[in-house]
Amino acid sequence: MTMATTQKSTGRPGRRIDLQVIGPILALIALLLIGMALNSNFLSYANITNVLARSAFIGIIAVGMTFVITAGGLDLSVGSMAAFVAGLMILVMNLLTESMGVTLPVILIGIAVALLAGLVAGVINGILITRVGIEAFIVTLGTMGIYRSLITWLADGGTLSLGFEMRELYRPVYYGGIAGVSWPIIAFVVVAVLGEIVMRHTAFGRHCAAIGSNEKVARYSSISVLKVRLATYVLLGLLVGFAVVMYVPRLGSASASTGLLWELEAIAAVIIGGTLLKGGFGRVWGTVVGVLILSLIGNILNLTDFVSPYLNGAIQGAVIILAVVLQRKGATER
Amino acid sequence: MADPILSLNGVSKSFGPIEVLHGVDFELRPGEIHALIGENGAGKSTTMKILGGYIDASDGDIRWQGAPVTFGSSDEAEARGIVMIHQEFNLAEHLGVDQNVFLGREIKRGWRLDHKAMRARTAELLAQLECPVDPSARVSGLSVPAKQMVEIAKALSRDLRVLIMDEPTAVLTERDCEILFRQIDRLRAQGVAILYTSHKLSEVKRICDRVTVLRDGAMVRSAPVSEITEDEMAAAMVGRELSDLYPAKAVPQDEVMLEVEGLSVPGLIETASLTLRRGEVLGIGGLVGAGRTELAEAIAGLRPRGGRVRLMGETLPAGQVKTAMERGLVYLTEDRKSAGLLLDKGLRENLTLPLLDRFGTVLIDRKAEEAALDKAIADFAIRAPERDMPVGNLSGGNQQKLLLAKTLLSDPQVILIDEPTRGIDIGTKQQIYTLISGLAAAGHAIIVISSEMPELIGLASRVLVMHAGRIVGGLEGDDVNEGAIVRLAMGLEETSEEAAA
Amino acid sequence: MTKTLIATTALVGALVGPMSGMALAETIGVSIPAATHGWAGALNFHAERTIERLKEVYPEHEFVLATTPDSATQVSDLEDMVATRGIDALVVLPFESEPLTGPIQRIADSGTWVTVVDRGLAVEGIETLYVAGDNDSFGRTAGQYFADTLDEGAKVVAMRGIPSTVDNERVEGFEAALDGSGIEVLAMDHGNWNRDTAFTLMQDWLSRFPEIDAVWAADDDMAVGALAAIEQAGRTGEMIVVGGAGMKEMVDRIRSGDSTVPVDVTYPPSMISTAIEMTVVGVTGAAPMSGEFIIASELITPENADDFYFEDSPY
Repeated sequence: MTMATTQKSTGRPGRRIDLQVIGPILALIALLLIGMALNSNFLSYANITNVLARSAFIGIIAVGMTFVITAGGLDLSVGSMAAFVAGLMILVMNLLTESMGVTLPVILIGIAVALLAGLVAGVINGILITRVGIEAFIVTLGTMGIYRSLITWLADGGTLSLGFEMRELYRPVYYGGIAGVSWPIIAFVVVAVLGEIVMRHTAFGRHCAAIGSNEKVARYSSISVLKVRLATYVLLGLLVGFAVVMYVPRLGSASASTGLLWELEAIAAVIIGGTLLKGGFGRVWGTVVGVLILSLIGNILNLTDFVSPYLNGAIQGAVIILAVVLQRKGATER
Repeated sequence: MADPILSLNGVSKSFGPIEVLHGVDFELRPGEIHALIGENGAGKSTTMKILGGYIDASDGDIRWQGAPVTFGSSDEAEARGIVMIHQEFNLAEHLGVDQNVFLGREIKRGWRLDHKAMRARTAELLAQLECPVDPSARVSGLSVPAKQMVEIAKALSRDLRVLIMDEPTAVLTERDCEILFRQIDRLRAQGVAILYTSHKLSEVKRICDRVTVLRDGAMVRSAPVSEITEDEMAAAMVGRELSDLYPAKAVPQDEVMLEVEGLSVPGLIETASLTLRRGEVLGIGGLVGAGRTELAEAIAGLRPRGGRVRLMGETLPAGQVKTAMERGLVYLTEDRKSAGLLLDKGLRENLTLPLLDRFGTVLIDRKAEEAALDKAIADFAIRAPERDMPVGNLSGGNQQKLLLAKTLLSDPQVILIDEPTRGIDIGTKQQIYTLISGLAAAGHAIIVISSEMPELIGLASRVLVMHAGRIVGGLEGDDVNEGAIVRLAMGLEETSEEAAA
Repeated sequence: MTKTLIATTALVGALVGPMSGMALAETIGVSIPAATHGWAGALNFHAERTIERLKEVYPEHEFVLATTPDSATQVSDLEDMVATRGIDALVVLPFESEPLTGPIQRIADSGTWVTVVDRGLAVEGIETLYVAGDNDSFGRTAGQYFADTLDEGAKVVAMRGIPSTVDNERVEGFEAALDGSGIEVLAMDHGNWNRDTAFTLMQDWLSRFPEIDAVWAADDDMAVGALAAIEQAGRTGEMIVVGGAGMKEMVDRIRSGDSTVPVDVTYPPSMISTAIEMTVVGVTGAAPMSGEFIIASELITPENADDFYFEDSPY
């Protein structure tokens, strides 16, 4: 009962919830229909696979971002962090190839390095935010710049590339799969399903929502607010590492422009999906829908000559706003 | 008698399928203070919000000076001079007092804000209210009573015809109440129509002209105050005769449950010591700001502290809420809206929040949660239209019961309860008093912090009084009376250290 | 181009002896974009290496290098250079033409030597020296190659960079070369000089068009992305990919006779070395160095690829 709202109550709380649930799904369905109408290849196996697989990186990161935002935080560093972790992973693998040859253990160590680097990066963000007590926006804005510079420095301003033979060995992790479903898609689905379960059915998920909703209440309810907050950033870091494991085999390279604006896409996907930017409520399945909406817009624009390429950004922006308007309509009428 | 300026005729209100007001008639006349009383959930808030233009009526009509009227929003109502002062203040915390008083109606000179004029006018209004607050001070730094005064100053700054006050004295000290009553009298003399709600029936009796009692959304009685006694008001609210409000006191046993020695919180509490026994209800009195809440929070691990706390013989580490809870000590906050409950979440999420690890190992066992909620609803007589509604939409009394259920969920042995009945109706109060003494009789040890003297006297077998961060005295048995508590609370005298220990 | 570069280096070398003893100490400021993509990275690489080298040759001169992420920062960098370092000469690669024209003009008006690199200013005649690659020639060379080698009615797609003057000039050159050749441009869109964007864009084009004979990517980074998408779709034999700028990996592919990547077009980042060297010579008054110095794009073919392969360059 916030008294600040002077608007009239329609007295029907049920409607709000419905629209929140249906909003993003409606937007997704609308996009699918538009895509089908504009290009017959839209629903082809190859195109659907492409769209889902390319959604996987941002999707996996966005699942982690959902937890951070639900707990009232924010992480702007994920795009740069991904680039840095990718660069580090490539450097380590190239180095090991010299001594160990083009072998599976090199890939496994590379994967371990990526996951560990993501984890450490998450811990650094989390510690600075929870223990040192700096605003999440400032901390991650800072680390965003730091990682972006580090990758530029590691790559000497150019591109870090995996050795050709190693790339061939590692390649199937992005391009391969089982039963016609490629690995990135499988990874994305697994992360999303686990994320949804953790968010809705575990104490951790509930604690995230409680902290985002009212940190003081959470503290008075004997929840270790700092630990849970820290855990959200660590989880996100780990998922960034995991996304990189899927990303590196795609082009086998990392440069200063890797992961550019991923943080904003991930945050946009989370918000489109119905998670509140101020925290307190999050849903992972919504984030997945949000990621797909963003990917589909790009895909449809590439498949058609519908609008001038100069206006791609405008279309994306409009769809993002529309998707959020759809679900918030009920809420503002409350 | 003057004609009604604002009235409700057969007004009903439904939220979804649930009708919460059934054909209420209510009149406000210029120069009259009309009390609206009832238990929490009786429909007072809804009635006030309809009058203030915050919500629509589902049926019936609202009349302004005899003619039917509809308010599109609270702004339209305010334009006619109808102002509502909310229980939760409607102030911009980061702005100054003067900026708040003139928020949205700033005085301008040309296109620029006339800060000087606004500050001067604010100072005038505050002086009228005998409120010593600097007009340029930030609202976030003000005490609760001072914020209330700012709200009133804000109302006074308008062309006021109807003033709706939702439990204005719930957060005020006695002295501030007196100032408020004088202001209300002054407004009445100026011909303002005033709607006044309070759970303190003595206040109603004292300052109001007419009283209307709501029960379960219907009007059950409306009479001039002179024709109705406090007991009759209470009976009309509850729908039955109230037997003695306070149950018999439990007798403390010998076993010491909690020992606090030389506890200090820098700047707030100096070396406080106390002992609490099994089966005892220990009251802590004192003025707002004396350090009572801080003491309880420090014991419960919510604040860093010095000194030693022993719970059932074992030392309790400082600053660890969870450990305290696991060892059997919990604290129930006075501030249920900002520290007690997640207002945007449902009943279930709130109930189990502190104890989620006991509901399932990895995944939360939702069935167990629902069962716990069923039990809480039954045990604490919580009335909620829907189980998954945001608890912010529950009445104050039901929120408090839910908070009690949540706090007691871990089955604690030592319970610190801060303002157990703030802002709740007399029927619920009685339920809570019965619950507290029942807990004590069952062998729990309880500390009750309260600003209401009768509550301390009626519940506690022993009372400690705090003043300026120190425990200045203890009262026991027949010595527990209002005069003695007030003298200690004002810092006028101190009893021996033994009494305090 | 390479020849010119060698020539100027030789020139500098020849002048070192007599100059070093008597020259006044000059401060030379160098302001270039930060290494946010491969080409800019190589630019930084060459700038740093050249300054190192010149410092040894001219110990009495001071060099100030500033890299900048955007136009606004570049303007403040320039102000700092003038105010706190008192530069006598400025070598600048403007982030954008319009916003930097004013600030650079003020510096030039104060008598400072100004060398503008690659991106021309909005007003002509400000700079003392202009050293640039030829964007029109960059696009035209690729387009001409298509016109020469592809059949009439062949279908091509074109990947542009980030919307900018540079990009427009390249595309105009490309389109002009194709004009009248009977080659059809199926689609043209921005790949933003980014591998990932190019990969995605190429994937979608492959879904959309059953027949593509050639891909023009206005930068080698984008060509790498496009090649990966083509490989994934299993359509490697169907089309050729022509990039630009002379990235190491691409030159290597040409050298080894890759049929998908038959040629590449140069746009040498080492032009910054040329610019700095010419400025040093010019500012010390050793030789007249004003005017324009345009480095045309060349076609890298399997025959000449060895000349364009720099083992230790990051690009």
